[in-house]
Amino acid sequence: MFGYYISLALRSLRGTPILSALMVAAIAVGVGASMTTLTLNYMMSRNALADKDDVLYALQLDSWDPHEARNNPSEMPWQITYKDATSLLRSDIPTHQVAMHRWGGPVNRDDSEMRPYTAEARVTSRDFFTLFDVPFTYGGTWSSEADNNPVYQIVLSQETNEKLFNGENSVGRTVNFNGTPFRVVGVIEHWQPSPKVHDLNNGDFLESAEVFIPFGLHRSLEIYPWGNTNGWLTEDIDSYEGYLGSEYVWVQYWVQLDSKEQLERYRDYLTGFIREQKQQGRFPRPLKFGLSKPSEWLVLNEVVDDDARMLNWLSLSFLLVCLVNAVALLLAKFLRKAPEAGVRRALGASRKAVFSQHLVESGCIGLAGGLAGILLTMAGLTLIRHLAMGYMDRVASMDWLMMLSAIGLAILSSLLAGLYPAWRISRTNPSIYLKTQ
Amino acid sequence: MLELRPILSALWRHKISALLIAVQLGLTLAIVGNATVVIQERMDTIARPTGVAVEDIVTANFMPIPKDYDRMEAFRLDLDMMRQLPGVVAATVSRAPLAGGGSSAGFHTKPNQEIGATNSATFRVDEHFIDALGMRLVAGRNFTANEIREIGRESTWQPDTTVITQQLADKLFAGGEALGKSIYYGGGDHPMEIVGIVERNLGPWPNSPIAGNSIFLPMIMDTQWFDYIIRAEPGQRDAVAKLLQEKLAERDPRRVVDVKTLEEQLNRSYAGDNTMITVLSGVVGLLTFIVALGIVGLTVFWITQRQKQIGVRRALGATRTAISRYFLLENLLIAASGIAIGVAAAQIFNHFLASEFDQPALPLSTTLTCALILLGVSLAAALVPALRAANISPATATRSV
Repeated sequence: MFGYYISLALRSLRGTPILSALMVAAIAVGVGASMTTLTLNYMMSRNALADKDDVLYALQLDSWDPHEARNNPSEMPWQITYKDATSLLRSDIPTHQVAMHRWGGPVNRDDSEMRPYTAEARVTSRDFFTLFDVPFTYGGTWSSEADNNPVYQIVLSQETNEKLFNGENSVGRTVNFNGTPFRVVGVIEHWQPSPKVHDLNNGDFLESAEVFIPFGLHRSLEIYPWGNTNGWLTEDIDSYEGYLGSEYVWVQYWVQLDSKEQLERYRDYLTGFIREQKQQGRFPRPLKFGLSKPSEWLVLNEVVDDDARMLNWLSLSFLLVCLVNAVALLLAKFLRKAPEAGVRRALGASRKAVFSQHLVESGCIGLAGGLAGILLTMAGLTLIRHLAMGYMDRVASMDWLMMLSAIGLAILSSLLAGLYPAWRISRTNPSIYLKTQ
Repeated sequence: MLELRPILSALWRHKISALLIAVQLGLTLAIVGNATVVIQERMDTIARPTGVAVEDIVTANFMPIPKDYDRMEAFRLDLDMMRQLPGVVAATVSRAPLAGGGSSAGFHTKPNQEIGATNSATFRVDEHFIDALGMRLVAGRNFTANEIREIGRESTWQPDTTVITQQLADKLFAGGEALGKSIYYGGGDHPMEIVGIVERNLGPWPNSPIAGNSIFLPMIMDTQWFDYIIRAEPGQRDAVAKLLQEKLAERDPRRVVDVKTLEEQLNRSYAGDNTMITVLSGVVGLLTFIVALGIVGLTVFWITQRQKQIGVRRALGATRTAISRYFLLENLLIAASGIAIGVAAAQIFNHFLASEFDQPALPLSTTLTCALILLGVSLAAALVPALRAANISPATATRSV
């Protein structure tokens, strides 16, 4: 029966090509617009750390100005000071913990003709790779002494290893970074979370670091971070040591706490830590710290911005208009065929049969609209990638789930649109049409 | 106007279809009105004058490859070299505005203040900065060469003089004369005298709330990399950019050099706004198109349904104009009621967008303009089918009875 309805539907669609094309176009445009923004919102709100969402926490300490809270939704600085980071690193409560920030500089090799280029770096404590589940292709992380002492070891991203060593196992080789020779200890697999939940201060959808170096190098290299440095206190800083000891916040901090009990202990530890600092005249604001799960961290940092969310609403209303449009057109189309339905009814087709036949026809329009809608979505996403000038490259793309959703959305909307017209036509009174024939 | 009654009674028989068209138009108006106001706001943002010669400026920076590299010597040699190049009007050592990178700080008009700072972007510059950026000095003077101090990264030295933008001057000294007054960095007590005021400079972040507050300090700091701003003769920008890349690498190959045009960086800063403008314009265009198609489809359908009726009216003496007018009037009735719903819907939708997503308020004039345009589109969409209806022959009435 279903097959028969489909052949009827196709015949009927061919009978009114212009009206059918209009309906398919309306559904396709509606689906295309809403899927473009839905895909953007879906990709922008992905959580690369979803697997460890229960155990990872982004840490914030409220060390800010006594006169006003930090101007962001959390009312605390996103990052912490260097001196607090080094103190917290000494705690043995977290299973893993990471203090890190963005940096960069020229990289090259002495034994190669290749042109030096500027690489984005992450200066981080050694737990980075275990905490964020970053797999290694070759080698591994540096030794634990590198978190406190100058150890010139470097981990390369897969892309960097490709550029510098053609993808060979480069462990043990030497690369120059910012004019200093570093020994390669590891090469990670391709790892580009987007949004890069571990670092939401430096372009949420941009590339991850290209090289990783230990957190113990600050003093020997006099590292001034790239990315945000914020301060509230006016301090006379006349040496690098003074900079490290200042109230400037520029270090991102994450901890892994595997159990409730561990979490509680760490909360107590942080409370104690801040109390201690208050006694030394620091942390002038009311005692406050933040431990946010990755999912909460993404929301707090407003990764899906107002523009994206507004576009989402706008395009859903767009789809609604297209739906209303489809209802009107379907109604017109079905009513025009009322005599045919009247004859079918007179020949014994039940109301239900007429209803489902017409609903199948709507579904066919939806399927065609959905397929065209996928093409439009892809065109829309390409346009957005182009307009955003590279910033959205990692989020403006469609995966299989989104393609299936596009077709699902199209069929669902067309069935919804067909509901009333099909019901209306199934109520046709056969006698009228029999009389006039 | 005598036709209103028959139109209304005919519409009543097609109330669902008519309602659907009206609802479509209403929703469309709600969306189009709100999209338009956002588009307008973003276009105004982009159209703001930047205060600098965006089209003629090239920026460059270098990062040394060897560890012990004399950056202070390198920048002097670079500047001497660049100023000699053909097509170069002026060159300076400073971070470029509008490109998204820089620093800001709070400033006071009195010493030793803890609260009430005015935030401003800060630029470290030499005496060529006004010329290199193509800015206009509206009061006071530029820095002189011997005011410029070269300092190390950890120096606590603060300059005695500063140049600020007119906007910041108005904010710091509301209603008063800023020139000759002093400002204080952070909660400090070191006075910096305002010796000059430039007309405008949007600062590093054109979308920031402090855009336009800019302070220029006569100092050059030894940092990991050095930025240059080079203004080319009009039309020479791209040639100068190419030449710079070549000459900077040639003068000293032991560094990574990056040359860009300021225009490209400004476009990057506005990429989000440009995306919104294009996407929303697309939404407005497509939506209007879809609605127009819907109206064409439905009008055609009604006319075919009422072919016989039209034939009878024609046979009874109705003119072609009368037939066309009937359908246009019918369309006008539906559209007008839809748009009336839409004006209200637009305000409700706007209230939601404004409170949830911080979007601009929708003025009634914008809604009404959009309403008029939509009404026109709706009438235009009905026009062709209505004219064709007038061509139905009176003989139709006599057929197939």
